Amino acid sequence: MAEVHRRAPDRPERWDVVVIGGGNAALVSAMSAHDQGARVLVLERADRTFRGGNSRHTRNIRCVHRSADDYNTGAYPYDELWKDLCGVGTGPSDEDLAELTVTESESVPDWMSAHGALWQKPLAGTLHLGRTNRFFLGGGKALINGYYRELERRGIPVWYEAKVESLEFDGPRCNSLVVDVGGKRVTVTATAVVCASGGFEANLDWLREYWGDAVSNYHIRGPRFNDGLVLRQLLDNGAAVAGEQRGFHSVAVDARSPKFDGGIATRIDSIPFGVVLNKKGERFYDEGEDIWPKRYAIWGRNLAGQPDQIGYCVWDSKVQGLFLPPMYGVYKADSIAGVLDAMGLPTEPGRTTIERFNAGAPADAAGRFDPGGLDGVATAGVVPAKTNWAQRIDTPPYYGITVRPGITFTYMGVKVNAGGRVVLEDGSTMENVFAAGEIMSGNVLSSGYLAGFGMTIGTVWGRISGREAARHALR
Amino acid sequence: MLSDDLFAEAERQLNICNSCRYCAGYCPVWPALELRTQLTVTDVTHLSNLCHDCQDCFTACMYSPPHEFAVNPPQVFASVREETYGSYVWPAEPPAALRGRRGVLAAFLGSAVLVAVLALLMGESSVVDGSHTRSPYELIPHFTLAVIVLIPTIFTLLVMARAAWRYWRDIGGTLAGLTDLAAWTRTFGQAATLRHQTGGQEGCSYPDGEPAGARRRFHHMVAYGFLLTFVSTVSAFILETFLDSAPPYDVVSVPVLSGTIGGVLASVGCVGLLVLKRRADVLQSTESMRRADHALLWALLALMLSGLAVLVLRATPVFGPVLGLHLATVIVAFAIAPYTKFFHWVYRVLSIQYDNRESRRRASA
Ligand SMILES: Cc1cc2nc3c(=O)[nH]c(=O)nc-3n(C[C@H](O)[C@H](O)[C@H](O)COP(=O)(O)OP(=O)(O)OC[C@H]3O[C@@H](n4cnc5c(N)ncnc54)[C@H](O)[C@@H]3O)c2cc1C
Ligand code: SF4
Ligand code: SF4
Repeated sequence: MAEVHRRAPDRPERWDVVVIGGGNAALVSAMSAHDQGARVLVLERADRTFRGGNSRHTRNIRCVHRSADDYNTGAYPYDELWKDLCGVGTGPSDEDLAELTVTESESVPDWMSAHGALWQKPLAGTLHLGRTNRFFLGGGKALINGYYRELERRGIPVWYEAKVESLEFDGPRCNSLVVDVGGKRVTVTATAVVCASGGFEANLDWLREYWGDAVSNYHIRGPRFNDGLVLRQLLDNGAAVAGEQRGFHSVAVDARSPKFDGGIATRIDSIPFGVVLNKKGERFYDEGEDIWPKRYAIWGRNLAGQPDQIGYCVWDSKVQGLFLPPMYGVYKADSIAGVLDAMGLPTEPGRTTIERFNAGAPADAAGRFDPGGLDGVATAGVVPAKTNWAQRIDTPPYYGITVRPGITFTYMGVKVNAGGRVVLEDGSTMENVFAAGEIMSGNVLSSGYLAGFGMTIGTVWGRISGREAARHALR
Repeated sequence: MLSDDLFAEAERQLNICNSCRYCAGYCPVWPALELRTQLTVTDVTHLSNLCHDCQDCFTACMYSPPHEFAVNPPQVFASVREETYGSYVWPAEPPAALRGRRGVLAAFLGSAVLVAVLALLMGESSVVDGSHTRSPYELIPHFTLAVIVLIPTIFTLLVMARAAWRYWRDIGGTLAGLTDLAAWTRTFGQAATLRHQTGGQEGCSYPDGEPAGARRRFHHMVAYGFLLTFVSTVSAFILETFLDSAPPYDVVSVPVLSGTIGGVLASVGCVGLLVLKRRADVLQSTESMRRADHALLWALLALMLSGLAVLVLRATPVFGPVLGLHLATVIVAFAIAPYTKFFHWVYRVLSIQYDNRESRRRASA
């Protein structure tokens, strides 16, 4: 078992590299700096049990590979990943850094294996991503556990419950960090600092600045610790912004899920199989726009824009069982009015909306319906149209579930250069402060998201920033 | 029977797992769970026996307690096994005299007295008065000995066969499934190597959340040690009955060698498992399961140590009494076997067999 690293140091010591954070980007930075021979300290705000930030909720990573292997079902060449990256959101924000990320991704899996990662063979449930993405055996927490074991093996200390409160600057140089270690305030001095403390998605007040009271109805899918305190410190000390300020990645989650840390299990996949009504009982978006893996991340935003940020998804027994069962179960009734009522939605005008939807759905839908791909079974004369899988909702029992936006992470971060150094607003760089992971992912993608690329960014940039921080310290 | 509360809790947890599926690569429980999105009592029982308690999923789970989702598959599976094991055994309760710790002690004393009386009545005075030789049959004649040991053994085998059949039917097994030799080959390979206790490539996270193979090695020692002592007993019986070779046997003979090696292995294994249990995190198991494990391990240890004592002391004056104690232990151990965890391997092997057939169907589908 890992030693308890919560102890505050009794004598001040200078570390070569101090890494802020305890998720994927932080641990990779720490090992990368250690590979260079640096004396490294890791400061993780969570306790040992809940360590690992958003990374503990992940399951796969997307990297370039030239051929199939044990863990990927086929090749995924540079050009294809680059094209995929250009296809999301507004595309790469800094082309050079994005290209560097894609190029570097090719050596990531081997590097990870050498530093304690284990992989899962492609299985039935993961096949649709089995070619492009590699799955961690046991998921992100298992990966993180493996990294922490490797840290322990190397003798890299980790202080848990160590919350960095401020970075003390002298011009462009950070001289020390003020850290709250289990309730005790400690000053930590370091020759170089890597900031890998994630986004600010768990900071409701910060989100409220952009989104107002709607935030009360958002769920945060990861831990409550990612409040962007370190990001704020960097911005306040002149760091330039990268990534869309108001941007966040979000999906539809079960309205009954907890405010924080619900992770993957609260995600709702029923949307393409039925219709979604808002609080006013109206449909508001094409539920069958594209295959679900390409569209699930639109629904967080869709819901965030609706009254009270809530949606009511309804389907019937024809499609029940075609998607993962929600963890809290579903509402069920023998009539549409019954299921709307069970979800707490007034029966009208919801029932009328569904009747109108049914009238617009093709009569021969049942014969053409194909959940395996875009089937073109579309409504006619209904606004908004449902352009695929538009079967009538007419076979009892009827099912329903209430959905809310679940925020995965925020996009805004600090700008870095190709060596991971934080760039200031005037274009110069901080002397000894580096960044990796979500806190700088806006350099690669300023909006939009490619499944599995968050871990790629964290690993590629953790490697770069850890290495460069160590070189700076040991120069 | 599985109580409603426990089923509801298992269903709650496994629904979370089914919406997550991160553990898919660890063990056969997970692919089997994916086929069962509307869980029944039967499903949960089957899955609980497929789980070999490697703890990998617990260690990997971002929802394990104190997270509010409190997902803890090894614990919920252990509870299910514990609640259901008894329901396959008939008679459901041990004979009144054998119930509880006091019952076991009483049975042991009774058996010891029985052996002593038989020895006094039928044994040769050389053993009883210590002027000894080294054949057990001088303590109690061969035939009588066979009868008093065989009665509890046959009882146990019958109870076991019945439990196995009921369990097999309960999880949906068919007669064809029992005669599927191809699947049995895999099943025995996996059971013999405790394949599923290794979890993923991580190796067993038991006892303290870090991969370690210790428990699997100790379990192997107990299982194979026990089998060897069984070989020892049976081979001695065969030598005497069919080959006319009377004990005492040489040091280099099947009964003595297998008995000694097996006894030592199993004793070390039992002690090892008991020590690991003390260190293991109580969070992942249940208190009464721990007690049941302890009972079985202590019973096995008593069996092994008394057997070893017989081998070691066969040339000394205490041979007679030591043999008597060992015989009494054997009688009691077999009589109470159906009510200890001793049968766990029956259910597990059947569930593995069922799963092997199911995954073959899945692969060809
Ligand atoms: C449910 C879910 C599933 C996901 N699945 C995937 C996936 O399959 N593949 C993928 O690529 N991406 C996925 N993502 C996105 C992915 O989690 C992130 O892109 C990635 O984890 C970011 O890593 P990071 O190390 O930068 O941040 P994090 O992992 O969030 O780590 C931040 C760390 O900083 C610590 N910290 C914060 N503030 C302080 C402070 N003041 N002082 C000290 N420490 C501090 C936190 O405790 C935490 O340890 C998923 C996200 C969620 C929520
Ligand atoms: S044990 Fe946890 S990580 Fe594993 S499948 Fe279940 S919920 Fe997911
Ligand atoms: S065998 Fe291991 S991984 Fe599988 S369910 Fe049991 S504890 Fe979890």
